[in-house]
Amino acid sequence: MTAPNIQRALIIVGHGSTVNPDSAMPTWACADEIRRRAIFDEVQVAFWKEEPSLRQVLYTVESREIFVVPNFISEGYFTQKVIPRELGLPGQSAAEATTTRLPDGRLLHYCPPVGNHARMTEVLLHRAREVAPEAPPAETSLVIVGHGTALNDNSAVAAKRQVALIHELGLYGEVLAAYMEEPPLVSDWATLTTMPHVVVVPFFVADGLHSYQDIPVMLGMEPDPGEAMSRREVFRKNPRHLHGRKLYFGSALGTDPLIAEVILDQARAAAAGGTP
Amino acid sequence: MNHHAAFQEWVHTGGRIVGQAAVEPVENGYRLAHREDADAIRAGDLAWDALELFTRPEEARTVALYDEAMAFRPLKTAPNLRRGWRLELETAAELHLAIEFLYPAAIGLWVAQREGRLRSAPLKETLGRQSGMYAVTRKATPGQIDATLASCCNSCGGCLKTILWATPEQKKALPAGKFEAASPADELPLHCHEACNLFVGTLRDEIKK
Repeated sequence: MTAPNIQRALIIVGHGSTVNPDSAMPTWACADEIRRRAIFDEVQVAFWKEEPSLRQVLYTVESREIFVVPNFISEGYFTQKVIPRELGLPGQSAAEATTTRLPDGRLLHYCPPVGNHARMTEVLLHRAREVAPEAPPAETSLVIVGHGTALNDNSAVAAKRQVALIHELGLYGEVLAAYMEEPPLVSDWATLTTMPHVVVVPFFVADGLHSYQDIPVMLGMEPDPGEAMSRREVFRKNPRHLHGRKLYFGSALGTDPLIAEVILDQARAAAAGGTP
Repeated sequence: MNHHAAFQEWVHTGGRIVGQAAVEPVENGYRLAHREDADAIRAGDLAWDALELFTRPEEARTVALYDEAMAFRPLKTAPNLRRGWRLELETAAELHLAIEFLYPAAIGLWVAQREGRLRSAPLKETLGRQSGMYAVTRKATPGQIDATLASCCNSCGGCLKTILWATPEQKKALPAGKFEAASPADELPLHCHEACNLFVGTLRDEIKK
């Protein structure tokens, strides 16, 4: 069924959403960028909540070799259970790329999620600098926000790992993690931090209601949780003067141009080590 | 035959309609528009210039993102593609990409169906696989499934795809045409080989009522 001159496909998997048009955007943007570079014969996306779905996507590519990279921040329920199941793969540890021979003979490399990659620290720091270029890092508290929840979600673990890595670099006066659904809570930022400048970066792929609305409300930047705010409104207002500090709030990481490099790296690592 | 060659052959042998989009080869490439706008132009009631012009395949995503009321369209085969645009593309590759953005996976599923490779999954199998918040759908009653079929999949307000996975009992929930894979020669069929996440989510809501 494969076309003779189509060899390698990349499929970037995003969560997608049935209510938020911005959820899929970072995944689309990475696919556009990688397609433009003509590194792969085919570049496709797939989503859990949108189309093409994980159940459709393998019908859309014709390459003999397929690289699947989850555009997710953490290993967990989606990367270890939902994506492999929907693609018809055996259960995956996702710590390393695994290679499966599909029933039609094609080779599928299932790669670790982008959030696992060493360069994500660079992405976080890039975003923090971009949000608050005038804030001296030594006088700044950097708050990395994870979701934090019960259902096999390692986002808290992923955020903590980044805190440890950035702390070791000694760039910021203070680095800490805060969560939406478990302590330490984002809403306690004023007591959790001590520096005059506070930079808050969500450790999420996509800007959604969490970053447009939930976190700004938890930070006290926005009083009204009623109507959803647009992305521009929220991110344009940096810095806010609250509790005697300057508070800067960044957008999710998936829109950073470095993410496309991370996706390519994850696929390259699979190509180097995964082909039996 | 590969997807690109199959779709090119279709377009150049009279293929014109993909979902609510009309496609036609023109002198310098291809032109896409909403099929109702294309009909209105053919009837002399509308001019091409009156339609907003897009020239990059990625802009098909912009067209497909919101409906006329600026509501998000998570399901691209929902019959609410907005009107008022035209997409002019130079190459066959750009056309292919634009169709992929307007109707994701449609070409691949069509080729697979033609070649007898498209495997449809019965609803029982799809629901049996669900976990987490969707695990409850395994307990769906036939009545709840029928109600979801009627609300989610009907071609008037739900979805334009042809359902390939329904049992004879489930087929009673919608008009017979909804389950017939054949389509007019100038229309690319839109296949639904298994119930989508939107269906499963709606079924969950139906159960939770």
